Amino acid sequence: MKKITIPKILIYVFLIIMAVIYLAPLFWVFNVSFKTNAEIFTAPFALPKAPTFENFAFAWTAGKLGIATLNSFIVCIITLALSMVIGSMAAFGIARMRWKLAKLSLTYFLIGMMIPVHCVLIPLFTRFAKVGLTNSLVGLILPYLTFALPITIFIMVGFFESMPNELIESACIDGATIYEIFFKVCLPLGKTGLFVTGLMTFIANWNELLLAMVFISDDMKKTLPVSLSKFVGPYNTNYSQMFAAIIIAIIPTIVVYCAFSNQIVDGLTAGAVKG
Amino acid sequence: MDKLLRNKKAICVFMAPAFILFTFVLFIPICQSVYYSFCDYNALTPPKFIGLENYKTLLSDTTLIIAIKNSIFFLIFSCVTQLIMGLFLAALLTNIDKGRNLFKNIIYLPCVLSSAALGLLWMFIFSPKLGINQLLAKLGIEGPLWLMDTNGYIILPMWVIAFVALWQYVGQSMMLYMAQISGISKSLYEASYIDGCNKVKSFRYITLPLIRPMVATAMSLNAIGSLKFFDLIFNMTEGGPNHKTEVLATHLYQQGFKYFKYGYASAIGVLLLVLCLIVTAFINKVVKTEQYEM
Repeated sequence: MKKITIPKILIYVFLIIMAVIYLAPLFWVFNVSFKTNAEIFTAPFALPKAPTFENFAFAWTAGKLGIATLNSFIVCIITLALSMVIGSMAAFGIARMRWKLAKLSLTYFLIGMMIPVHCVLIPLFTRFAKVGLTNSLVGLILPYLTFALPITIFIMVGFFESMPNELIESACIDGATIYEIFFKVCLPLGKTGLFVTGLMTFIANWNELLLAMVFISDDMKKTLPVSLSKFVGPYNTNYSQMFAAIIIAIIPTIVVYCAFSNQIVDGLTAGAVKG
Repeated sequence: MDKLLRNKKAICVFMAPAFILFTFVLFIPICQSVYYSFCDYNALTPPKFIGLENYKTLLSDTTLIIAIKNSIFFLIFSCVTQLIMGLFLAALLTNIDKGRNLFKNIIYLPCVLSSAALGLLWMFIFSPKLGINQLLAKLGIEGPLWLMDTNGYIILPMWVIAFVALWQYVGQSMMLYMAQISGISKSLYEASYIDGCNKVKSFRYITLPLIRPMVATAMSLNAIGSLKFFDLIFNMTEGGPNHKTEVLATHLYQQGFKYFKYGYASAIGVLLLVLCLIVTAFINKVVKTEQYEM
């Protein structure tokens, strides 16, 4: 039986206070989103008297959050899939293929981690406007994909480098082509790495606001953070609808997080330790 | 096998997609951005080279000065508080067994949520008639105008936003420190206890020196993150009241996409990039030391 000491109790008290600070705002929004607008002011902290889903329905349809959620899903899923394929291909090329510029090209990609997206906003916008890529989801996917590549390449290079040489050798003896070795031997073995980077990419793009706001002005093409920021603003006076909109925007990531928190943490630490 | 791995064509196939994307969507635009920053360029006219004119305007732009002040405030505030809070939480969490994952996951949760949504959430919490002020009214206190007060050198809204940023992102620093601390061998601590160290001392003389490389990493992440800071401010105050809470990123957005001064906004972008590089180099030089054997 372990001894319960005073410092231990203090630690737990402190952590519980922290947990309250973290969860209280989320619960508050969740609670209010089921109330009527008048109730927010008459009984701000009580549970809703007659929970209503109307706020959600209104935000989903009239607030155009429904279509925005769909757009966000399309953009994130396509970016996710492409970044996995393209990123791991490049990572394999760097980690396993034998050529002189492998190290240098890794550096080239890693520089991308330091570049803030703000710096390329204007040239990208003016160029995309010329070729008709603004107001299109493709125009969002391209930069999202590009900014997802450095971290994907970085993590996957680590994975491919740690794979035993014998693996490739034996596949080689069996007469596999280099593409078969990559797609049938190495890629399946790196799937934990892929999963982690995929999660990071998905979350980052799901939450991205600046690029989406600049590139998309058509309501039917907007992604979730943009539609949300537009719907929730100083000119809207129905608070409970706005709160419902906030809940709609954060629920998907909360679900993903609850399901995969361990992998997300792995990805974070792997991505940060870039030496 | 060697021949297979030196196959030039295969290397090209593997590298080309990533390389092309990177070059066209990242590398060339950065060069263009630098060029535009020397140009008179807006939505109506094509870029025209004007030399250092935009950078001269930067110096006399009062909003920009406020934006730099605010950005630097964020930078220092987030580096210092995240270091202290992150380390403190990591130290506490690595010392308990029951509920460690639960608390860790709760504190990390906001990091994965949309900062646009969280910004709006906190905007309501600190709005004049809702949230905190409702709570204070119950206690008979009239709460301040959290996001509109403009008194003082660093105005109240900036502290509020900085607090929200700390709330949202401290989980990240905590996670990084925790990963590093749990990598330290237990035998080092046992040896120190035999030598008469208590927990605090062993933290000071074993943990701290051994996690220094991670401090550098976490700090540079914080620093770059706080310079790039956009979503929270945009949704909490939109730079107001009267541009008092503007930071570099919001100012760039305003100039570029509200007033369509592409050239001038590019100059702000270049300034941001240079600041990012300087700060990262500085932190890595000052904080980073050689890796110890763990």
